[in-house]
Amino acid sequence: MCACSMQAYANPLDAFGLGSRAAGMGSAVAADTSGFDANYYNPAGLARARGLELSIGYFRASHYLKTNGHDNDVDPVKGLVGGLVAPGTIFGVPFAFGLAIHLPDDRISRVRALRQEVARWEMYDNRNQRLFLAANLAVSPVKWLQIGGGFSFMSSTEGKLDIGGLLNIFRSEDSALRHQVDADLTAVRYPQVGMRVELSPDVALAVVYRGEFKLKLDLSAYLHGDISQLTTAVYALETHSVNNFLPQQLVVAGSWKLTPDLRTNLDVTWVNWGAYVPPVASLNVALDIPPPAGGWPNGVTPPQAPAPTRIEALKMSDRAVPHVGVEWRALARPRWEGFARAGYEYAKSPIGAQTGLTNYIDRDRHSMSIGLGLRAIAPIAELPGDVRLDAHAQLSELVTATTRKADPADLVGDYTAGGHIWNVGATLTVGFP
Amino acid sequence: MRLTRLALVLSAASCASIGSPGAGDVDLPASGAGPFRKLDGNETLGVAPFVLDDRTRLWHDPAVLPADPASDGAGVFLFAAGTIAGGDVIVRTRADDGRSFFGGSVGTTPAVVLKADAGEHVVAPSVARVGGNVLLYWSDGAGVRVASSADGLTFAKRAGYALAADVAASWEKTPPGAPSVAVYPDGRVRMVYAAGGYLGEAESEDGLTFRRLGPDPIFGPSIAPDLSTLAPGQKPPFDDARVDDPCVVPRVTPAGRLHVRVLYTGVDAAGVTSIGLAARYGDSGPLSRQTQPVYAIGKAERAPALFEWSGGSLLYVSQDRAPAPDTHYGAIAAAFAPANLRLPPATAFADSP
Repeated sequence: MCACSMQAYANPLDAFGLGSRAAGMGSAVAADTSGFDANYYNPAGLARARGLELSIGYFRASHYLKTNGHDNDVDPVKGLVGGLVAPGTIFGVPFAFGLAIHLPDDRISRVRALRQEVARWEMYDNRNQRLFLAANLAVSPVKWLQIGGGFSFMSSTEGKLDIGGLLNIFRSEDSALRHQVDADLTAVRYPQVGMRVELSPDVALAVVYRGEFKLKLDLSAYLHGDISQLTTAVYALETHSVNNFLPQQLVVAGSWKLTPDLRTNLDVTWVNWGAYVPPVASLNVALDIPPPAGGWPNGVTPPQAPAPTRIEALKMSDRAVPHVGVEWRALARPRWEGFARAGYEYAKSPIGAQTGLTNYIDRDRHSMSIGLGLRAIAPIAELPGDVRLDAHAQLSELVTATTRKADPADLVGDYTAGGHIWNVGATLTVGFP
Repeated sequence: MRLTRLALVLSAASCASIGSPGAGDVDLPASGAGPFRKLDGNETLGVAPFVLDDRTRLWHDPAVLPADPASDGAGVFLFAAGTIAGGDVIVRTRADDGRSFFGGSVGTTPAVVLKADAGEHVVAPSVARVGGNVLLYWSDGAGVRVASSADGLTFAKRAGYALAADVAASWEKTPPGAPSVAVYPDGRVRMVYAAGGYLGEAESEDGLTFRRLGPDPIFGPSIAPDLSTLAPGQKPPFDDARVDDPCVVPRVTPAGRLHVRVLYTGVDAAGVTSIGLAARYGDSGPLSRQTQPVYAIGKAERAPALFEWSGGSLLYVSQDRAPAPDTHYGAIAAAFAPANLRLPPATAFADSP
């Protein structure tokens, strides 16, 4: 055994957005959201809802990430998204309750244990493979101010492995081992709060804070048994690591309605990657195999407890991530409206140059997105509100660059890495007056 | 109620089955020089991890040559030293999948390409394509000799030494041996050899005669630590007694740098052998050490040879074969990198050497 990285430390929505309207606008919506996506982008926006809204959608982000020209087959992130906004009033003050969920359709949570030197796409390989759920409340004490907050929940895993039985090193078919896996799916929550200030009917500003979380992962394995009736063996292993780490984030955003049909948004997200805790496990190993009476048979060498592994620090830097989005109401009819959207965001990689032992691969990311929206107003008599269908496509380009290793005897060596990610999806929203 | 039903439907749709284990570890970058894992029974036609095994001829000291240098396939020629009728020989065999060598099946034997003259030793072969010929190097105990061939099967010994002992090379406490010759990407011919537990380097214009590069060895044993300073569980270096049997494999990295990799046999103070990796960037200078062995299974593994193709890297070593508790002999085993991947099942034995 050796040092292992438990790489799963963030949030699929940070990478790919929530809902097609926002994704189509480069996730620049913190000052311009009022639907279920406000549960992620800015809880204060919930208070802008004018009626009950139900949303459901699906997205798929397919990775085409390569090293040395070879596709590394990084799993896609895909699944349902959905949520609701339920507005009301308390003592005459508008308030709203919101709920949002991302439900992966492959797995609820995934943990991978890799040695620290094993190459992996740190930001995309595993961290986004998890369920996300958020619940928020918002109020609008005055017409120009909305305030909201709540909690997000994410899934993670902890487990224990117990193996016991007989191990016959001379006749493997006579070995009989039984094992028991005890794994718990757990949830971790972190807060988010937001505020939106409407400076005028056409201009709004927003500030959002999302909290940090660290979920410690403890794994233990216990192997005990009899070796060919020669001796006994006890092997106990405990690992401790930070499985989930989400850096705290602060979003400052603005939204300007340039014309009655054209809106432009700008968000800047500060991400506190500098507080990152390396996803490397510390190990405690105990191995006890006493020699049999008369010593070990010829040719049999008893295993030894592994040597301690030096854990390399992972340097990460805080980043400010700009998001720009525009929305154009291209068609406006009494019973329906059509929208075209575009967005851009730039995420400079927070991970330092991997010239040493570790290989946390990441690259600067440029994301360009487009979106279309169709809104039908009171389409049928039974539905006096509206129905909105939004779709998005986002292309993220990870700039290809070369990593040069300092040590020529490094087992990974120099490599080029880069690629792109396609993120497509659609969201259907039904609004009730 | 409707919301509850919706939530139940969504949950059922997503949680109806156990998720796939996931991917993300295909074609990850690697230097191609390990760590290796030994082949298993599904990856060889013989007794894994052995690929060339004869208890009377005692094949050892493998060397490899891509069967078709113009392609990137798994076809490979393997040269090995052995003993036939009491005399040293070097044989050649071939595998189309890197593992199923002619001579592995009953009734076949590799082709003898070089025989020792009376009183001569022929061990530690190395082979390279130089100037349209195949050159076969070996150690006779007093230096490195060379034979040339146009077809890779019929070799003509050249008189004299390609690299002889030299009293001016003061660090060479034994005659140079265990040669490994490679042609660099720019066409230069280099030899890494062993002498007195260290490795040295020599260069040639034609592949037939070599001159030493510098007065010092390019690699030596690890410094033996004070055992009292080791942390609990920490092991002393695997190569603190001597280094031997180099196998030099140059390449150009994706960053455009010349990368000289040398696999070698590391021997520790207790005489236990392991396969190590040393390397450098650039065409001259000492080698840097990988502190962990790239192949260590405690079976007297030694004399590495490396074959790379688009499917991965195969390491061939001399290794102890013990078919019964009281029977031990040397044979040639194979290991593979990247260690987390598996080779496709072995194909049929090659139909000729």
